[in-house]
Amino acid sequence: MNTLVDRRPMRALVVIVSAALAAIALAACIVGGGYDGGESVDYGVGFYEPYGYEYGGWGPGYGVGPPRRGYDRGGRGDGHAAPHPAYRPAAPSRPMPSLPSHPRGR
Amino acid sequence: MMRRWRVDHGVLARCSLGALLGVATIASAAAASFLLPPLVQPASSEHHAGKVVWVDLVTPDLASAKRFYGALFGWSFNDIHTGHTDYSVALLDGRPVGGLVQRAPPRGEKRQPAWLTFISVRDVAVTERSILTHGGKLLASPRNYAQRGRQAVFTDPQGAVFAVLQSSSGDPPDVLADPGEWIWSSVMARDAAQDAAFYQDVFGYEVFENPGDDGATHVVLSSDDYARASLNTLPADAARRHPHWLNFVRVTSARDTAGRVVALGGRVLVAPFTDRHGGQVAVVADPAGAPFGLLEWTEADGQQDAK
Repeated sequence: MNTLVDRRPMRALVVIVSAALAAIALAACIVGGGYDGGESVDYGVGFYEPYGYEYGGWGPGYGVGPPRRGYDRGGRGDGHAAPHPAYRPAAPSRPMPSLPSHPRGR
Repeated sequence: MMRRWRVDHGVLARCSLGALLGVATIASAAAASFLLPPLVQPASSEHHAGKVVWVDLVTPDLASAKRFYGALFGWSFNDIHTGHTDYSVALLDGRPVGGLVQRAPPRGEKRQPAWLTFISVRDVAVTERSILTHGGKLLASPRNYAQRGRQAVFTDPQGAVFAVLQSSSGDPPDVLADPGEWIWSSVMARDAAQDAAFYQDVFGYEVFENPGDDGATHVVLSSDDYARASLNTLPADAARRHPHWLNFVRVTSARDTAGRVVALGGRVLVAPFTDRHGGQVAVVADPAGAPFGLLEWTEADGQQDAK
C-alpha cells in the first residue's frame, strides 16, 4: 500500500518531464525556421564550396573590377560583338554604369 | 514509523501544468531568439532588385574568423547562439556588413569555406521558378527569418552558389561603400556569355560588354543604372575551374591590406595588380581558406568623365 502511494509522485514527475521534452521538440519545430535548419535543409552545409580555387591567369588584362562612370565602351555592346550572343547586350546608347558615388549620409 | 506521502492530486496537476507551460515558454523563447538584424533600420520601402545586399561567411572556426576580420577591417561582432548555430553579425561603425556562421565541413569531403552572396529580389517564389526554369538548382529551400525576410540558396547553371533575399525591411540605399565595407562582386564562370544570359533572364540585369586585354569574355551586370557585378570567364590556365561568386571589400591600399592578411594567417591568392578602373585589386583567403577580394576605389573613380 505504502509502496503504491510513494510511486505516484514519481509517475507524475515522469509525465511532467516527458511532456516538457515534447513541448521543447514542438517549440523547436514551430519556430525552427532559422539557421538551425530543420530536418530537410541545413543552411550551412549546402554551400561549402568545392575545395581549392586556382587563381592562376589573373593579372594585368584580366579585369574584374567595376568600370569607371562613363568608361568608354568603344562601340562595343552594339549587338554585333558576337554573332549569337547568349545575352541581350545593352544598347550602344547606354553609358557604362559604375558604382554609386554618393557618400553615406551626406 | 512509516511516513506516508499524502498527495493532493489537484495541486499536483496544477504544478504539472505550470511546469509544462514554463518549459514550453522557455523552449520557445530559446528557439525563437535567433534573430538576424533587419537589412535596413529603420525599415524603408526602397528596393534594388539585383543588388548584392548581404554576405554570409560559412567557416569551421568562428572565433578564428572573428579575430581575423576584426583585426583586418576593424569589424566588431554581435554573437547569436541558438540551438546548433553559432552565428555572428559583423559590424562596421555599428552597421551590419555581413554574417559569419560556424559549420563543420561535410564529413569525409574536402570542402572550402566561402562567402555566400545574397542578391536582392522582389519575390523569392517568383525568382525560384525563374532560376529553375533557366537551369539553376535549389540548394536550400526558401525560408522566412524574423526581421530579415525570405531567402533561399541556389547554384547557377554552371555551379556558382548564390542566395536571394527578399528583405522585409527594404534594401540598403545605393551609396558609396566605406573602406572596410563590401563594394563589389564578381562571378567567375566557365562560359561567361551563357552565365550572363542566365543572370539577365532571372534578375533582369542590363548586360554591358567590357572586354579586357586577355580576349576572355567580361561583362558588367547592371540594375538601377549602377554596376552590380562583373561576370568573367575563368582564366584559361586555371587548374581548378569551379565557377563561383567573389566579393570585394573596399580598402585604401590593396598592397598593405594583403600584407596584413598574411600577417594574420591568411594567404594571398592573386597579388595586387592595377585593374581597369585604375585602382589595385587583389584576391586573398582568410585562415580557413575562404577567398575574398580587396579593391581600391577613390571617389574620383566613380565620377570620372567619359573619355
